[in-house]
Amino acid sequence: MAILEIKHVSKFFGGLAANADVSFALEQGMIMGLIGPNGAGKTTLFNCITGYYPPSKGEVLFDGRRMNGLQPNKVCKLGMARTWQKVRPLAKLSVLDNVMVGALCRTNSLKIAGELAMEQLKVVRLEQKARFPAGGLPIGERKKLEVARVLATQPKLLLLDEVMGGLNPAESAEIIQLILDIKGRGITQMVIEHDMKAIMRISDRIVVLNSGEKLAEGNPHEVVSNPDVIAAYLGQD
Amino acid sequence: MTTLRTLFADTSGRSTVTIIAVLAVCAALCTVPFFVHNPYLLHIMILIFLSTIMGESWNILGGYTGQYSVGHAAYFGTGAYATMMMLQFRQVAPWYGVWVGLAAALVVALVIGSICFRLRGPYFVLASIAVAEILRLCTLNLPSFTNGAEGILATGLPPFTIGETVITDFSTKVPFYYIGLALALLTILVTWLVQHSKLGYFFQAIREDQDAAHSLGISLTLYKNIALVISAMLTSLAGSFYAIYVGFVDPPTVMALDISVQIVLICIIGGIGTIFGPVIGALVLVPLSEALRSNLIASLIFKIGLVSPDSKFGGFLNDNLAHAHTLIYGILVVIVILFMPDGILGFLKKLTARRKGGEA
Repeated sequence: MAILEIKHVSKFFGGLAANADVSFALEQGMIMGLIGPNGAGKTTLFNCITGYYPPSKGEVLFDGRRMNGLQPNKVCKLGMARTWQKVRPLAKLSVLDNVMVGALCRTNSLKIAGELAMEQLKVVRLEQKARFPAGGLPIGERKKLEVARVLATQPKLLLLDEVMGGLNPAESAEIIQLILDIKGRGITQMVIEHDMKAIMRISDRIVVLNSGEKLAEGNPHEVVSNPDVIAAYLGQD
Repeated sequence: MTTLRTLFADTSGRSTVTIIAVLAVCAALCTVPFFVHNPYLLHIMILIFLSTIMGESWNILGGYTGQYSVGHAAYFGTGAYATMMMLQFRQVAPWYGVWVGLAAALVVALVIGSICFRLRGPYFVLASIAVAEILRLCTLNLPSFTNGAEGILATGLPPFTIGETVITDFSTKVPFYYIGLALALLTILVTWLVQHSKLGYFFQAIREDQDAAHSLGISLTLYKNIALVISAMLTSLAGSFYAIYVGFVDPPTVMALDISVQIVLICIIGGIGTIFGPVIGALVLVPLSEALRSNLIASLIFKIGLVSPDSKFGGFLNDNLAHAHTLIYGILVVIVILFMPDGILGFLKKLTARRKGGEA
């Protein structure tokens, strides 16, 4: 059964269509790659799915439930969590406290939240830095913190917005392993990524957006051999 | 009660030391009226307590939740007016009137919250000022309800009795001293409880990044309003206490913008978003403002012989320095903010951290 269905979603800003009639579905447990050139509307689509923007048209179904018009906090409570392209650490709080905020979404006890948070920090290998202020972390660790924090909200579906952006190859490799580990825990993921090698490796399916429209969909092999996709990425003559 | 138990289980060794230190200071403060009989000194202490209550209350909304309200005079005035109106117009003792004030502050807070929390950042600040000004103008222009610009003068406080025993008749400043101390401790306790609970985490998450907090399942509307209600009700307590202590309220003294600014300054000077910041702010600002107002600065200059009081300049200082107290106060506040952006508490923390770093 599809965990997430996007049906004819459009988002207009004035006359500009950031997303135009986009439809696709995610199966339980898979990793969906979402790619496209800059300005293709990938992050806008994330915002429409997670409640930051109401879609202008169409609907988003999560676990068969219509999500349009739900506030982001409700979306998170229902089990859909996202990270941010530009990381948003709670700078003055410690690394552990950051993850605890996520864990407190599911529990009222600080003690349980602390234990849950520590568990997630171990998953991303940040437990050594638990007491550090989050604002002082380097970019690679901030990205990991972001992932630990959303994992602590115990999502069924995780939307990762360029978690590898700005990372060096070693750090990217760690994140790729992390994403595969998360898949191993049965959490469905949708991943926006520019690093084609990474996206080819992790994705079960890929959707390509271009100028707000869905250009192609298929398994990684199909997508890279699609002439439309090649034209969109390399230009047409 | 599980939450309360985990609260104490989470308390680290450092917090235990702090708790013991606070209890010791409290015990010492309780004994002060036994050997300090100077009413002016007691008055200063009471003002420090009052400022602490105001600062701690604002701190929950401004310091922890990051919503900089510059309209807290609305809640201060609401508490002061409610208590005073119940006392003078309905002959209700202030210790019952306070509850009316709290209820009124709750209602005002929810109305203001539903209007202002649609806005963020500087727009929220402006809206909070505007709403407080509306409330002040209403108070001023509804004389049949509030006595308008005349204000309300308390003609006397009923003695506080338990059964037949008269506990106090409020003829000295001592009962006010104890009430102020108790209320100040109450607000500190509330702040501590907030900081060590889910609320504290959510408030601070909202302060650090609203969108991130929202995406982590935190309802912004709900938790901002909870912070506002706690903050408003405690501020209203401060207003009620002020009203019965001074015995007079009118719109300029309890509803004006400078009350709101004063409340914010206590926190900014002391250290925003910390439990003891407002206490330090109150400890610094109240004596400073009193010293400037009562011309202690001019006397000090004459005493150390910098300028002779008989010279022309000395005479000028003697005549004018006290009048310029708001100006000097303002300049000093600017200097503190420039050089200690995290407040005095933050500055001290940084100093000790640097010293520790130097040793290592």
